[in-house]
Amino acid sequence: MIGPSQTRILVEKTIKLYVGGKFIRSESGRVDRITPTRPPTDNAGADPRDIYVCRASRKDFRDAMELARKAQAGWAGRSGYNRGQILYRLAEMLEDRAEAFPVAREQVHAAVDRVVHHAGWSDKISSLLSSLNPVATAHVNYSMLRPVGVVVALPDPADGLLGMVEALSAATVMGNTVHLFVPLESGELAAALSEALATCDMPGGVVNVLTTDVTGLLEWANHHDDLDAIYLAAAAIDDDALKATQLEAARVMRRLILVDGAAQPASALTLQRLAEVKTVWMSS
Amino acid sequence: MNDVSTKQDPRARELALAGALELSPSIEKHPVEIRPRYGHFIAGRWVEGRDEGVFETVNPATAKPLAQIAAADEAEVDAAVAAARKAYDEVWSKLSGLERGKYLFRIARRLQERAREFATLETTDNGKPIRETRDVDIPLVAAHFFYYAGWADKLEHAAAGRKVAPLGVAGQIIPWNFPLLMLAWKIAPALATGNTVVLKPAETTPLTAALFCDVLQEVGLPPGVVNIVNGAGETGAALVNHPGIDKIAFTGSTEVGRIIMRSIAGTKKKATMELGGKGANIVFADAALDQAVEGCVDGIFFNQGHVCCAGSRLLVEESIAEDFVARLRRRVSTLRIGDPLDKNTDVGAINSKDQHGMIDRYLDIAAQEGAKVWQGAACELPSTGYYHLPTILTGVQQTDTVVREEIFGPVLSVLTFRTPAEAIKKANDTEYGLACGVWSEKTSKLFRTAHALNCGVVWANGYNLFDPSSPFGGVRHSGFGREGGIAGLWPYMQEVAR
Repeated sequence: MIGPSQTRILVEKTIKLYVGGKFIRSESGRVDRITPTRPPTDNAGADPRDIYVCRASRKDFRDAMELARKAQAGWAGRSGYNRGQILYRLAEMLEDRAEAFPVAREQVHAAVDRVVHHAGWSDKISSLLSSLNPVATAHVNYSMLRPVGVVVALPDPADGLLGMVEALSAATVMGNTVHLFVPLESGELAAALSEALATCDMPGGVVNVLTTDVTGLLEWANHHDDLDAIYLAAAAIDDDALKATQLEAARVMRRLILVDGAAQPASALTLQRLAEVKTVWMSS
Repeated sequence: MNDVSTKQDPRARELALAGALELSPSIEKHPVEIRPRYGHFIAGRWVEGRDEGVFETVNPATAKPLAQIAAADEAEVDAAVAAARKAYDEVWSKLSGLERGKYLFRIARRLQERAREFATLETTDNGKPIRETRDVDIPLVAAHFFYYAGWADKLEHAAAGRKVAPLGVAGQIIPWNFPLLMLAWKIAPALATGNTVVLKPAETTPLTAALFCDVLQEVGLPPGVVNIVNGAGETGAALVNHPGIDKIAFTGSTEVGRIIMRSIAGTKKKATMELGGKGANIVFADAALDQAVEGCVDGIFFNQGHVCCAGSRLLVEESIAEDFVARLRRRVSTLRIGDPLDKNTDVGAINSKDQHGMIDRYLDIAAQEGAKVWQGAACELPSTGYYHLPTILTGVQQTDTVVREEIFGPVLSVLTFRTPAEAIKKANDTEYGLACGVWSEKTSKLFRTAHALNCGVVWANGYNLFDPSSPFGGVRHSGFGREGGIAGLWPYMQEVAR
């Protein structure tokens, strides 16, 4: 029994990585004690305190790449309707779990609304941006959007939860699988987001959330030749890291999708850059 | 009918079987003027260029020089970029879309009217058969300008309703395999979207770009909207590295594409890359075989195989492989190789001595790695000029150099498969991803295969077909961005606030 004069000892949760649909510790065994940088919040019980966050390593990323690659075809192969429902379910879970996020309620609401917005694209964007091309030969010629594949996303940390959901919704609504790189300082947000992802019917491996030294892990991602694209918010990394990323991307013609930030949802043409235009000349 | 049984020479017998007739030469003689020397077209005028670094462009059919070409240095590239910037700021960005479009329509018309002249000059400078420049290259050039002309006043429709703006000055670098067609693919969408350009033709094929400048003067295009600088890699590097360039559009090898992308790392320059390929042509047992044979010939021997999307890997279903390769060899045995200006010629000259040497080196490697080399044509090779026999390699494997690397010549590797899944896996087993073909009379099989191939363009029962309304471009190491169609506008526009 705890006596009336004793304060209760808090049961602290170590924040794990979310990879392949499972919550895992880093293979490196590294757990950092972090003092989160956090704006004022109206959430009760979310007083600032140090947190323990697993730090994703190079090998964690390699493992996550394998799982994301395996998950990609299945995710892209689902109907747009189904992918839209899963993203909408993510919005439902975020709304329901708003209190789990150590941020002002309005920020959670903005994130929920953003996911709802992108969820609606899933069965529409290909109608909008595909084309039936009137070629001069006797072929039915059509161009369609295909996913670019596996994406690493670095949202602007200043965009908080909104930046994370903007990046992951834009990538996944186009049929890609995505690794979200999150700074250790935002570990609590990553944890709450991962818990929503784990309960929204999203197949494992479609979104992997890696809390890490973002610039450090990006260096390793730059050397992983199976990675198809990197989504970068302008303020996510400094100019030197951006240049290094561009230099390494040149090796394998990796696509870089540079965005300003998450204030506005990605336009149709920005979403298009998370896809490849494929043209088929079908014999008629 | 020839009585084939009486022929003693097996080759003559094969030719007779294939119905190949003796033909007298029919040489295209349309007059074209080639000036002794070309400089650079900057701000609507020709400037002579420096004497230092002058090089020759050669007629590959004869190996004789055609003209002297000046190589632009940094100062000349700077002058061209400045002219393009001035034209952008003062004229082109202020013109309405409709008026921009009307200039492009005018260009298209003049190209149509001077088509024979362009075709003859292209064949002379490049070595490709007149049949191709006359029936494919130049008609497509005019069509491309005509197509993008009509987009110039409709750009918001192409941007899903958003307001768009041009990027500014585009630096464009094109290869020698389709000189004027690549110029059209670059310039037409750039101008339609309101950009101005500095374009560098390939150093071995600068002549049709120079004649194109005549057309620009005829139609009264404002000076500086299109500037042409001649030169090789150094000129290209000066263009890529010029701080006044907003956008690089490049067609060429993946190797050079990498260099360009590294050069512009750390800048705000945008890029489109149309790079190499190692296209698979998949022939199922239920294909219309004679049609597929034609498609395979078009896929790899069109333009001497100097096509980034060439169907250089034949994947044929094992049950028909022997018969199919026999049909293919018989068809190739009827190809006429020789004077590109002869209207009977099917396969012309290799564009340069360097490229000819490269193809031979690959054939040496093929032989070393155990490939069986077969070559054929309906005639002997001419004694002068850079000619190469159409070549079919059998006994090759997925891991062989000639199966993995782009040869950019008339060399076809033959591989086999047993199931559709194996065909798709082998076709996708490459770093490239530009184009593939698939042949079957079963529509469901065509759709399933076409959609499973990891590349930018798929031809179902066809190969090497192009149209201005059809987006072209690759995935992975074949580059990014599209040329042609609505998607061909996107790389030249940016969304702006209303």
